Amino acid sequence: MTTISLDNTKYKAEIRQKTAKPLLWIGLISIVMFFAGLTSALIVSKSNSIWIKLEVPSMFFVSTLIILFSSLTYQLSLSFTKNNQLKFATITTILTFVLGISFTVTQFYAWQQLYESGIFWAGEQSNPSGSYFYALTALHLLHLFAGLISLLVVVTKSILKKYSPTNVLGIQLSLTYWHFLTALWVYLFFFLKFIA
Amino acid sequence: MSAHQHPHEEQDFLFKYVFSQDHKMISKQFLITGFIMGFIGLSMSTLFRLQLGFPGESFWIIDFLLGSWAENGVMLPDKYLALVTMHGTIMVFFLLTAGLSGTFSNLLIPLQIGARDMASGFLNMLSYWFFFVSSVIMLISLGVEGGAASAGWTIYPPLSALPQSIPGSGLGMTLWLVSMAIFIASSLLGSLNYIVTILNLRTKGMTMTRLPLTIWSFLITAIVGVISFPVLLAAALLLVFDRSFGTSFYLSDIYIGGQVLEHSGGSPILFEHLFWFLGHPEVYIVLLPALGITSEIVSTMSRKPIFGYRAMITSMLAIGFLSAIVWGHHMFVTGMNPFLGAVFTFTTLLIAIPSAVKVFNYITTLWKGNIKFSPAMLFSIGLVSTFISGGLTGLILGDSALDINVHDTYFVVGHFHIVMGLSGIFGMIAGVYHWFPKLFGRMLNNKLGNLHFWITIVSSYGIFFPMHFLGLAGVPRRYYTNSEFPLFDNLLDINTLITWFAILAFAGQLIFFFNFVYSALRGPKAPQNPWKANSLEWTTGVKHIHGNWPGEIPAVYRWPYDYSKVNENGDYVTGEDFIPQIVPLGEGELDGGGH
Amino acid sequence: MIALVAIVAVLLVIATAVQILKIAELRATESGKEIYEISAKQSKAQAFLLMVFLVAYFGFFAWQVWKWGGLMLPVSASEHGVGIDKLMNITLWFIIPVFIITHIFLFWFSYKYSFSETRKALFFSHSNKLEMFWTIIPSIALTVLILVGLSNWNKIMTPVASEQEHILIEVYGQQFSWTARYAGKDGKLGRASVEYIEGVNALGIDVSDENAKDDKIVKGEFHLPVGVPVQFVFRSQDVLHSAYMPHFRAQMNCVPGLKTQFNFIPTITTEEMKKITNNENFEYILLCNKICGAAHYNMQMDIIVESKEDFEKWLAEQKEFSAE
Repeated sequence: MTTISLDNTKYKAEIRQKTAKPLLWIGLISIVMFFAGLTSALIVSKSNSIWIKLEVPSMFFVSTLIILFSSLTYQLSLSFTKNNQLKFATITTILTFVLGISFTVTQFYAWQQLYESGIFWAGEQSNPSGSYFYALTALHLLHLFAGLISLLVVVTKSILKKYSPTNVLGIQLSLTYWHFLTALWVYLFFFLKFIA
Repeated sequence: MSAHQHPHEEQDFLFKYVFSQDHKMISKQFLITGFIMGFIGLSMSTLFRLQLGFPGESFWIIDFLLGSWAENGVMLPDKYLALVTMHGTIMVFFLLTAGLSGTFSNLLIPLQIGARDMASGFLNMLSYWFFFVSSVIMLISLGVEGGAASAGWTIYPPLSALPQSIPGSGLGMTLWLVSMAIFIASSLLGSLNYIVTILNLRTKGMTMTRLPLTIWSFLITAIVGVISFPVLLAAALLLVFDRSFGTSFYLSDIYIGGQVLEHSGGSPILFEHLFWFLGHPEVYIVLLPALGITSEIVSTMSRKPIFGYRAMITSMLAIGFLSAIVWGHHMFVTGMNPFLGAVFTFTTLLIAIPSAVKVFNYITTLWKGNIKFSPAMLFSIGLVSTFISGGLTGLILGDSALDINVHDTYFVVGHFHIVMGLSGIFGMIAGVYHWFPKLFGRMLNNKLGNLHFWITIVSSYGIFFPMHFLGLAGVPRRYYTNSEFPLFDNLLDINTLITWFAILAFAGQLIFFFNFVYSALRGPKAPQNPWKANSLEWTTGVKHIHGNWPGEIPAVYRWPYDYSKVNENGDYVTGEDFIPQIVPLGEGELDGGGH
Repeated sequence: MIALVAIVAVLLVIATAVQILKIAELRATESGKEIYEISAKQSKAQAFLLMVFLVAYFGFFAWQVWKWGGLMLPVSASEHGVGIDKLMNITLWFIIPVFIITHIFLFWFSYKYSFSETRKALFFSHSNKLEMFWTIIPSIALTVLILVGLSNWNKIMTPVASEQEHILIEVYGQQFSWTARYAGKDGKLGRASVEYIEGVNALGIDVSDENAKDDKIVKGEFHLPVGVPVQFVFRSQDVLHSAYMPHFRAQMNCVPGLKTQFNFIPTITTEEMKKITNNENFEYILLCNKICGAAHYNMQMDIIVESKEDFEKWLAEQKEFSAE
């Protein structure tokens, strides 16, 4: 009979290997519920007679392309790491990070477009439809910041050569979250374009 | 310079008792914080009961405790509402959600499924500390200018959004929202951990149908929490936007304080929908763990398998599922579409079916048992009684036509305090009596425990049963006093009686707190398995160690309810009336009571 | 000084309790047992108390019905309310027996099967028949309740048809008072919005609207004719209120930014109700039933139900909006 040692770090590492991914997945479900709540709130508000239908600013098309592309580069980075092409992996990770920043910038441009076309976040001249536009996209961006932080960690570790073909859990977690943000954005984009 | 001299010891203390990542310590932290909050919530209710039972009379204790919230020993009307709001918030969220789930999910999940710890000790620690911080912020909000949040625990806008409408909707409400946002984060982190731990870290042989019902209830509770709490966060955020930035999600066409507000296009009804999408499942977040805990206790103390194990699980799953599609029954008279009202009536009354199955299964478990009445068992019987007494009136409130006339009256107050408040608290206290040896390695005093039970059940029915009559006489809830209406003149006696029982209930809890503190420090040392129970937690040592089992984690061979199992000759299979889960099945022996 | 004495007294009580517990533990250990072990005798004593409690609980229930039953709301003063009361009785006739029977089983089993050293518990883990039985029985009972309930609900929530003879009243809530507005001769309520609120025009009525001219605004009390359908429209000026008229089994929230509606037919005049309740001072009442601020507990308006002739006489005396 083998006795598993009671060494704290050892069983904790085992537990981590086993549970990190499911923890993330269930965390994602709670974020889905959060946005489900907000978007169904929008559907309820839409029935008000004062509701104004808004056009999606063109910048949101650009940002959608950027975030889709970033998902692709991040996926590549994982493949490179698994094939032990660590240099390419580092480059693609950094590229993803840059794309993430670009996405953030385009979002700010899009808000500026909205503002200039007279759609305000709050105040007397605002309409709930405009407020929802800003709120939904800003809350998505808030979640994206968390993704950027995780990317920054992956970039750093990647530069320091902490990953190897057998040690990719960190990248996988960050990648799953990033894909999730992409999917969430695509959903919000279509939702705002066609439903709101 | 002492910090410099003993850095190591201090660090040990800090990591053992404060920033612990061990589930057993976190469980105790949740329990003690929850009880402190619960005591504060209980004291608040006793104070406002004084006002309701003796309206306008002066009490030095009110002056002493409430300070500027009272004048000449009489509390102010808007501060009465602040007390009611904080009482509700604290009891529902801090005591019965975090205190109950946090304590027992943390203690029992790893111990009963055979895991060394939670899926993530770090997130688990964060979960507790978020809870702690949110508790502190909630308490701080009591002291700010304008007073604590006063819009009721349901914080319906516009009342909660406009400081012009009530002073408590100023800084007090802001802190309430901040505190709740942190609380929701805490609750979500906890739930993530519970779900993943149960699904991924079960020991060898621990199939889903060998899990104790406690674990099933914690699992379903956590799932319901993950699905509903984020929606409350969304609702609260939109409220924050309306309050602080001038958006119009919930507000429209309002004239207050001599001016028309800029908000237009929003609807308070939207908030009610979002709020009750959490709010109703929240009832079951409180109730399900209590049902799980008492199922375990009733079976163990009756020395019988829980009757209908699979039906119990199915019922809990059904309750969990239905809880997410019944929220509209809180809104029958908000002017919502009558057809929707009909749908919600239908789904609401459906919940009665799994609830009834659970009650009958409890009762059948007692039948032909050999029942030892520990305080935990008494409280479990109490829970079945409150679950029936409070649940049945739900058939009246869930029926949209009947709800018209009792909606928001004391009938509702009586109903939910019995079915959710008392059941939740009875379940929690039963759990504390039962697993106290596992928590603190010592035993609680039974005689004090029995006394505590009798005072509690007598006084709590004394408080909440008469409330149904107030409701049927048409008395609305959240009234500072009923003395302004000739219609209610004859009802003062009822209110006075309720208040006396409330004081008795408060005194009864002091006995419990004394027993708790004394026994945790000085109580007799606990044996390893004081209740001769089957489940895995009793195979661990009395003294807590990291990793729970010194050697390998034991494998499991049977369900946890093999009590009083006999062979063909009528003798106990193992010579004793219980067979722990770690004992392999005998030749030809069926598992799970022959399912 | 008093505080000091109180603190000393509390400390003494705690110290005494600690000593008593210690002595009890010592005595238990001397007798060769642990204090936390539960003997058959102790178990029996608790089981007996449970039976006492059962009787006391039922007794308390009966006592309350006897003592307070007369204080409940009198017979319904509206047509649909009779249906609600009937439904309430059906439901009560269902739940009270269930309440009593389940409690008897719960406490009787607890008493009967209290611990004994000699008896063995029965290993009885499930029975599909029994479980089927108590899934189906409640399902049938609930189906009946749902069907009766919903047929009532649909009737109650259907607005009065516009061609039918009726009275249209707007009930307007604000912190902390009620105002009622009658539609006047034309049967139409004038347009209103918060933007028009100014001075005496607290309801924000649009002065330029033709329909508004003959509207009649009353405060303090409003009158209803017996036997005529009343269509209510509810509005709120500031926060949520709820217009609750318990004697008519009527309630509807007042929501800022939204118009809600309810309707009923009053069937008993105030004078008749004074006789029924044996109370000279009886008045129907409209009260606020949704937390709305500090004086929520005192937001009321009297309702007077009278014959159609009296009602028309009273209404004729009220000033039209254009006259104010």
